[in-house]
Order: sequence, then C-alpha cells, then structure tokens
Amino acid sequence: MNDFRDPSGSGASPIARLVDAFHRLPGIGPKSAQRLAYHVLRAPEEEARDLADALMEVKRSVVLCARCQNVTAETPCRICSDTGRERTIICVVEEPLDVVAIERTGGFHGLYHVLHGVISPADGVGPEDLKIAELLARIRDVDRDIAEVIVATNPNLEGEATSMYLGRLLRPLGIRVTRLARGLPAGADLEYADDVTLGRALEFRQEV
Amino acid sequence: MPGRAPRVTKTEAIVIRQRRLGDADRIVTLITPLRGKVDVVAKGVLRSKSRLAGHLEPLTHVEVVLAHGRSLDVVTQAQAVESFPALRGDLDRLSAALYLTELADRFTVEHADATGLFTLLHAALVRLDRGDGQQVVTRTYELALLDATGFRPEWTRCLGCGVEVPAGEARWSPLEGGVICVECVARYPGALPIDATALRVLRAYQSLPYEEAGRIRLTDDLAARLEQIMHSLMRAVAERELKSAAFVSAARHARVAEETATAGLDEIGNGAYAEDAD
Ligand SMILES: [Zn+2]
Repeated sequence: MNDFRDPSGSGASPIARLVDAFHRLPGIGPKSAQRLAYHVLRAPEEEARDLADALMEVKRSVVLCARCQNVTAETPCRICSDTGRERTIICVVEEPLDVVAIERTGGFHGLYHVLHGVISPADGVGPEDLKIAELLARIRDVDRDIAEVIVATNPNLEGEATSMYLGRLLRPLGIRVTRLARGLPAGADLEYADDVTLGRALEFRQEV
Repeated sequence: MPGRAPRVTKTEAIVIRQRRLGDADRIVTLITPLRGKVDVVAKGVLRSKSRLAGHLEPLTHVEVVLAHGRSLDVVTQAQAVESFPALRGDLDRLSAALYLTELADRFTVEHADATGLFTLLHAALVRLDRGDGQQVVTRTYELALLDATGFRPEWTRCLGCGVEVPAGEARWSPLEGGVICVECVARYPGALPIDATALRVLRAYQSLPYEEAGRIRLTDDLAARLEQIMHSLMRAVAERELKSAAFVSAARHARVAEETATAGLDEIGNGAYAEDAD
C-alpha cells in the first residue's frame, strides 16, 4: 500500500487509513480494500455518510442480550422473551450467525446461548474469555427449568474441547448435555474423507 | 511464472494450529523434522467438499506435499498418518496435548532443523493417545524439551553452592531453574518453598527411563502440585503466559468437581498414592 503513503512523509494519508480500515475486515484482502476505498472516494457524499452512519448506529444500538448473549437491539432479545419457545432446552453456539443458521432449519424451538468464540489456547482464548460464566449463572438464577443443553459448537478440535469442558461444568447441575451428530457432509466423497470423520460417521450410523 | 514447474517438498509434519485466511483458506502451522516450524496455506479447507480439511486439523500427524509459493508454501496434498482419536475424545488428554503443542510452538524456530523436538512431540502424543498417564507424559516431555534447548532444571544440587539439597529443606527459583539450599536462600530473594514429594517425583522423572517413571503413581492432589511447579518453570523459560497451561488446570478442576458432585467424596483418589521416589 505504498502508493497511498502521504508524500510529505508525515504519516498515513486519509485514503491509506481507509484502505487499512477495510483491510482489517474479515475476508478483505489488500486488493479488495483498495477497490472499496476508491469506490467510497468516487461515490456521492450521501452514500459515504450513509455508510458511516450505519457503522456508528450498529455500535450504538446493538447490545448483547443479558440472557443468551446474542446480539440484539433490545434485551432480553426476541427469542428469550418469546413465551412460545421451549424453556427446558438451550442450544449453545459459538457465534450469533450460528443462531441464524439453526433458526433457518426450523427444527429447534428452545433457547440459545452464544459463547462468542470457542476454547482455543493456541489463539489465546480460554474458558474465561467466553460467555461460559454467564451460561452457568443463567441456568442457576433465571432459566431454572433447563433439563438439556445441546452443544452445537463446530465439529473441530476447539469445538470438541469446548463441548467436553461444558459437559463437565453442566452435568453436576443435573443437566443432560448433548452434542450435534457428526458424520459426512452432504455431497461428500468417501474416498477423500479423513479417518476421524469417517470413523464418526460409522459410529453414529442410523437405520435406513 | 508460466512454464516453470513449482518446486515441491514432501514431508511428515504435526499440525499445531490453524487460522483463517479469507473466506475459505487457512494458514496452517506445522512442526516438521527438517524445517522446524512452518506456516503453510491450505486452500478451500472451509468448504465442505474440501479434501484437505480433516487431514489438517491440529494434533494430526500428517504427510503433506508443499508447493513453494512466493511468500508461503501451499499444501497440495495431505494425508493423515495418525489422528490420535482417543486423545481427542478425552478432555484431560486433549488439554495436555494442546499444552504440548503450545510448548513446541514456543520452543521451535522457523525453518531450522527440529528433528529432536518433532520426535519428542510425536512420542508424547502417541503416549497420551494410548492412555499413558497424563502427568508422566507431560512432565517428561517438559523436562526433555528443557534439556534439548539448554534449560535443564537442577533438582538435586543447590544453584548457589552445589551441595546436594535434601528434598524436605529445598527452596526453588523458577527464574533460575533449580533448587536452593537453606544456606544460600538469602542470596535468592525470589526463592519459593517446594513440596518435598513433588520434588522427589521430578528428580525421578528427570533421571529414570520413561517406562520406570510411568510406574510412579500420583494422587490428584500431588498431580496438581507437580503441574503447578512445572507450569511456573515453563512460563519463566518461555517468558510468557501459556494459555494452554491454564486450560489443563481448568479441565482438571472441572473433572474433580464433577467427580465430587456425582460419586461422592470417598471415591476421590481411591487407592492412589505417591511412591517415595528417593
Ligand atoms: Zn436472548
């Protein structure tokens, strides 16, 4: 990004700053960041102001639900305050987008809890960095009828570590702790499946 | 680069971590025997049809083919040799394995021979996976790692005067990496008390062959004391907090709490004892 360096050498130019800001977004490489910055530069002022307002608005008005820790405009969130939902079961997920994905299936009618990450010591994330204390407090103090917790973390090493750790914390409270079934993804090819996936698909086989 | 065939390397490796790169790719950190620690790019691993994904999970012993890229090498083939399924299915062993790999990560340099360290890490993962005691595997690995990197701790002779220190009277310094006798303790203001039984076990772990060290039986309580000593030593040598060390302890606390809640206190530590290792 040397092209955008302030010629006076006194620091980053406004456009270099914008390119940097876009580059920090997930999935945006240096080339895309430059394209986006130039787009903003050429766009009418209103468009730029709309973008800036939307960015600030989301930071001002979106909070975390005090119960499920999902992002929401009001707390408790819509799902937590919906009296039509089963209040004996919580599905624990890593991120807010996972709630959207499970809601889309239409197959789950209980409550959620968003951890905001997954235990990953290699990335400097331990249990204390996630919303685990909030989950325990909520089950103890608010949602006292919880009988089952489904741990829907991703089926990778960090997801497994998190689910096993949650199991240890929740079982002493008399709660059934379950995990999403694992196996071959739709459209997979047996020949290329790794041993762990194939082994689990065998282990969790079903009647046809 | 048209017309020029990419140079490729085939190597065995242990995957120690992964991070996202854009929407579908990952940067995978490998420990290899000949090139030490290397970051490589795995393309498309977040797509469900990826042929690489499951083979490049952390804690996998893998055969990879790497094509030399401009900045980072790119994985073109990956085949898991061992995926250590038993270790993955048990939180204590899994957390121990994460700790072993974090240490390997901290103690290896990039692009330098690491044959010794690769062998140590591989042996420790195999031992954890087949069900050897988590303590003996972890502690002997730490000690071997310290040996190999020039940080061998001194558990027997006083760092100040060289005299043999009786286990019951010893103090120790994590920063200096050894024990201190009563006469010299004034010269080491950071010296801490050290549990005599734990010190005897550490002496045994350092001097006995692995198989014999494995016969020393430990209570949960003694295991926790050993762990605490070695974690502070490793932290002092690595000069940083080790997140995985804290997770090993958290996982053990959670297990003990669960056992206490479900089985009742009388079952805890049933029949386990610490053999006098002197
Ligand atoms: Zn909520």
